[in-house]
Amino acid sequence: MNVFTEITLNHYLALSGLLFMIGLAGVMIRRSILVIYMCLELMLNAANLALVAFNRFHVKPGGIHDYDGQIMVFMIITVAAAEVAVGLALIVSLYRLRQTTNVNDLNALKF
Amino acid sequence: MNWIVLLPPLIAAALITLFLRPLKKLSVLVSIGACAISLGGALAIFFADGEAKLSTLSWASLPGLEITIGAMGDPLASMMLLVVTGVGLLIHIFAYGYMKEDPGLSRFFAKLSLFMFSMLGIVLADNLVMMFIFWELVGLSSYLLIGFWFERPSAAEAAKKAFIVNRIGDFGFLLGILGTWAIFGSIHFEELKNSVAATGLPAGVSVGVITLVTFGLFMGCMGKSAQLPLHVWLPDAMEGPTPVSALIHAATMVAAGVYMLCRVFFILDLSAYTMEIIMWIGAATSLFAALIALQQNDIKRILAYSTLSQLGYMVMAVGCSATTEAMFHLTTHAFFKALLFLAAGSVIHGLHHEQDIWKMGNLKKYMPITFVTFLIGTLALTGFPGLSGFFSKESILFAAYHHNKVVFALGLFTALLTAFYMTRLFVVAFLGKERTEDVHHAHESPKVMTIPLILLAILAVIGGFIGIDRYIGPHAISHDSGGYGLVMGLSIASFLIGTGLAWRLYGNVTKEPYSFAILKNKFYSDEVYEAFLVKPQQALARFLAWFDYWVVGGLFVRLSCLSAAGAGEVLRLMQGGSLQAYVVVFILGVALLCYWILVKVAL
Amino acid sequence: MTFLTYLPLLIVFLPVLACLAIASGSPARQTALATVLINLAAVVGLGFFLPQESGYHFVSSFPCIALPDFFTINLTLGVDGLSMAMVLLTAVVSVAAVAVSPIRVRREKEFYICVLLISCGALGAFLSIDLFFLYIFHEVALIPTFLLIGIWGGQDRKFAATQMTIYLAAGSLVLLAGVLAFYFALPEYGRSMDLREIQQVLSTTPFSLASQKFIYPLLLGGFGILISLFPFHHWAPAGYAASPAAAAMLHAGVLKKFGFYGLLRLAVPYLPEGAETYSTLLLVLLLANVLYIGLVTVAQKELNMMLGFSSVMHMGYIFLGLASGTPIGLTGAVVLMVSHGLSAALLFGLASVIREKTGTTLLKEMGGLASKAPLLAFLFILGALASMGTPGLGNFAGELLIFFGAWKVHSWATFFAVWGIVISAVYYLRAVRSIFFGENGKFAAEISDLQGLKEAWPYVLLALFLLAIGLYPAWLIKMIEPSIQVIVNL
Repeated sequence: MNVFTEITLNHYLALSGLLFMIGLAGVMIRRSILVIYMCLELMLNAANLALVAFNRFHVKPGGIHDYDGQIMVFMIITVAAAEVAVGLALIVSLYRLRQTTNVNDLNALKF
Repeated sequence: MNWIVLLPPLIAAALITLFLRPLKKLSVLVSIGACAISLGGALAIFFADGEAKLSTLSWASLPGLEITIGAMGDPLASMMLLVVTGVGLLIHIFAYGYMKEDPGLSRFFAKLSLFMFSMLGIVLADNLVMMFIFWELVGLSSYLLIGFWFERPSAAEAAKKAFIVNRIGDFGFLLGILGTWAIFGSIHFEELKNSVAATGLPAGVSVGVITLVTFGLFMGCMGKSAQLPLHVWLPDAMEGPTPVSALIHAATMVAAGVYMLCRVFFILDLSAYTMEIIMWIGAATSLFAALIALQQNDIKRILAYSTLSQLGYMVMAVGCSATTEAMFHLTTHAFFKALLFLAAGSVIHGLHHEQDIWKMGNLKKYMPITFVTFLIGTLALTGFPGLSGFFSKESILFAAYHHNKVVFALGLFTALLTAFYMTRLFVVAFLGKERTEDVHHAHESPKVMTIPLILLAILAVIGGFIGIDRYIGPHAISHDSGGYGLVMGLSIASFLIGTGLAWRLYGNVTKEPYSFAILKNKFYSDEVYEAFLVKPQQALARFLAWFDYWVVGGLFVRLSCLSAAGAGEVLRLMQGGSLQAYVVVFILGVALLCYWILVKVAL
Repeated sequence: MTFLTYLPLLIVFLPVLACLAIASGSPARQTALATVLINLAAVVGLGFFLPQESGYHFVSSFPCIALPDFFTINLTLGVDGLSMAMVLLTAVVSVAAVAVSPIRVRREKEFYICVLLISCGALGAFLSIDLFFLYIFHEVALIPTFLLIGIWGGQDRKFAATQMTIYLAAGSLVLLAGVLAFYFALPEYGRSMDLREIQQVLSTTPFSLASQKFIYPLLLGGFGILISLFPFHHWAPAGYAASPAAAAMLHAGVLKKFGFYGLLRLAVPYLPEGAETYSTLLLVLLLANVLYIGLVTVAQKELNMMLGFSSVMHMGYIFLGLASGTPIGLTGAVVLMVSHGLSAALLFGLASVIREKTGTTLLKEMGGLASKAPLLAFLFILGALASMGTPGLGNFAGELLIFFGAWKVHSWATFFAVWGIVISAVYYLRAVRSIFFGENGKFAAEISDLQGLKEAWPYVLLALFLLAIGLYPAWLIKMIEPSIQVIVNL
């Protein structure tokens, strides 16, 4: 079977991995805090994708479908939402203090 | 019985130090009284003739080592006890007169009593450790008494020097004691004597070992009796008050070394090498000191070197296996040397602390009693026939004659020199014309000072006739062996030559006609020690202190401190503050963890 | 007799109660003084009633942690002859330390709390029969020392305190490793922190040679650093020079001896083969202590540094006694431990008095004190004579027994060690000469003497004990003999 004709678990995992890497690269490289934040979200959603894919392709013995992975995704989405709320509040107050969103300027966390 | 002899001086010293300081007369009385009680005890032991009741106190008792505070009652000990307490009592009485005006009078007598306690302990000691304990205490008392006038830097230095040189001797002594204990298994004299009498040198102990051990014991004597090369402290010890010089540095403490040699003689005898060394060191010291005395001008220094010389004789006698002769000479020497020192003290007191003989002269006129007693003392020392010193010295020379002719010749020559310098001293100080104005103001000393002089003079005269030597034991060489007449004749001849020569040369001079720098400067002993021992030690100490501070301290402490701080500095650079750098490191860590778990552990 | 059983507990925790009392307002100096005096009385009483048999007496045990499979830790306190001697030393020196502390000192409460805690730590360490508490009590004593030196010390105190504490903490770390190694080397069934049970287990099944070779250097290193064994001695002189009198007296007098106590309890009885393997190393190090440090002491120009180095030097002698392994040597070591503690306390206390009175500690700036302050001179000279081993005072008895004990076993080492008596005479007499004899040095004000017994009684107390040991050591020897026998027979 051809990779390009049938969609298997591996395709989803590859996509998920790719998204994760892009998000990671963004966190490591981008200068604006908001963009870093968005890349963080990207990483989270990549994990979500992986979870859903696993869930979809996983069949318990006895033919029963379970939905544990999708439930986990719900959890993650909820947590991500909460985290965004808190994080954006922090970024806003940080901007008010420092007048910048350039990560290179926020370097006080050192000895 | 032994406690009656030993304890009163200690109690006196303690009482005076703690309570009686302000009450000067009472302190003196207590101290003299204690000495008298000790004398009474010594007489009791003497008359008990070996049957005295002596008790022992266990000081430390451990498996293999029993240290006791006990007593020996044999003739050697009882003779020495009489000498120490008897001469000591006379000196105590004299000292009261001499030190009457000194503000530290009580302190002086307390220390004097401490000394008596320590010295009596040495004499009574029934084992090596007890002897060592009191040996060191005697050194301590000597330190305190030499440095009595401690405001004088010279006195403080002299006291320190005496103690340290003595300590070096004690180092050897202690090693000798340890060696003896290791070889024979005991430290008690009786047990050792029996052991040596029964089996001699135990099997497996080489001659080298026993020589080293006995030499260690002899080192103690070298320190205490100021033999070459540990002689340097005795002349400086004259910084102390004259009664101190009389008691400690003439009659008793310095004699303790000789006493100890006689006590452990049976051990020393096991090594012929050590006996040779003892003999030669004794002879050398004797000659060395006599030569230096020829050129000294301080009355006490001359007497000090004379003491050194006579001690050399005694040690030499021990080296010739003649312990009875040595003890005989020790006893007579105690009499006439104490007499000479006290008489010198009388002179110094009468001339208001003038000690240079060239500033005296014609003291015969001003201090008749002192003059007569000093004369008797001089004659006894130089060996005028019939006086005590003659018999004892001649017996030593006789023993030497039969042992080693070279040593005999040295001894004879030293006797000649002794006669010479003592006559020089006597002529310059007591005869002729007054050399300075101050002599006219001299006066005879009070009775409290002259009576001891007279008593000692009597002892110096009759000492040869009262059978001291027979009491101690048989002579090593009996008088029937050949050459007695020759030796007697030669010694009388040396006396006459020495005395006559000095009389001719110094009879009418007003200042020192001859000058031999090397003799005047005591063969530069102090300078040699300073250059070869003291300075190198100071340099080594300074170097080691530097080494310790920089290398040991630097290496361990500062290096570890610096490395910890340095590591901190390096690691600090990792905390740049850049959040993204932190993220990178974080991710790398996670990757490593994943690798570890997935690849390493899972397989 | 039950009261006596709880006496060790009282002795250890009375200082803690006193600290609480001081913290809540009672007059600091008086409370501290009362506490240490009561402790001394209790200790002396304990000594009187101590039976002559070997083994621990008056034991009281309180369970703390009881995990049967891991470890059980009980607070077990009791005395035997050896601990009795050390506890007596601690009690006497504590009294002296509190008494010589200045009457007006800033932050008085904290000062006396620190002193009392050190005393408590030392007493607890010596009275503990449980290995864990042996270690912990010593640590308890470490931090107050740091505070005392760092806050109330003299010049250079911050560096000295920090150096000393970190050094000693490192030593404690090595020691902890050693103790743990010791504990885990015990066979499983007999694994206990209680010294008595350890003794029973190890008398039947002693350690193997391999484990001994592993444990011994750790213990020796750990305790050695605490005792200032060469080359780990650098903290001592600077630390003592900068510390106030009480801290120096307690540390040099008591806490240093804890190291030896630990070695006597753990290393000497149970690790003989390990000791033999390392004996040459130990002999070299202890000779370095005696000779090398002795010469360094000679070069010192400052009184407190000299005394600090001198205390390091005398540790060499005690090590020699320990290394000999013979009853005579070990007894001598203990006698010297006690005597040196007393004499070091005496000298450090008087040194601080001299510093106060003359305003200087440089030897060449002093001089002629004997005529102005005779009582001070008398006591100091007594202390110096004691420390250099003059008969009549305790140190001599200890040194003599050590030399006798070590002579047959380690002749060459003893030969060199005996030379130490000459070296110590040199520097002590030089110090005495510089301080007390000769001409007057440059003082700021007129020097006054110690005001009789009222001011000098702590020193007199120390001197009396030194004389008691020196004139007649049999009582002390009899006290420690049973324990030494036990140690040697193992």
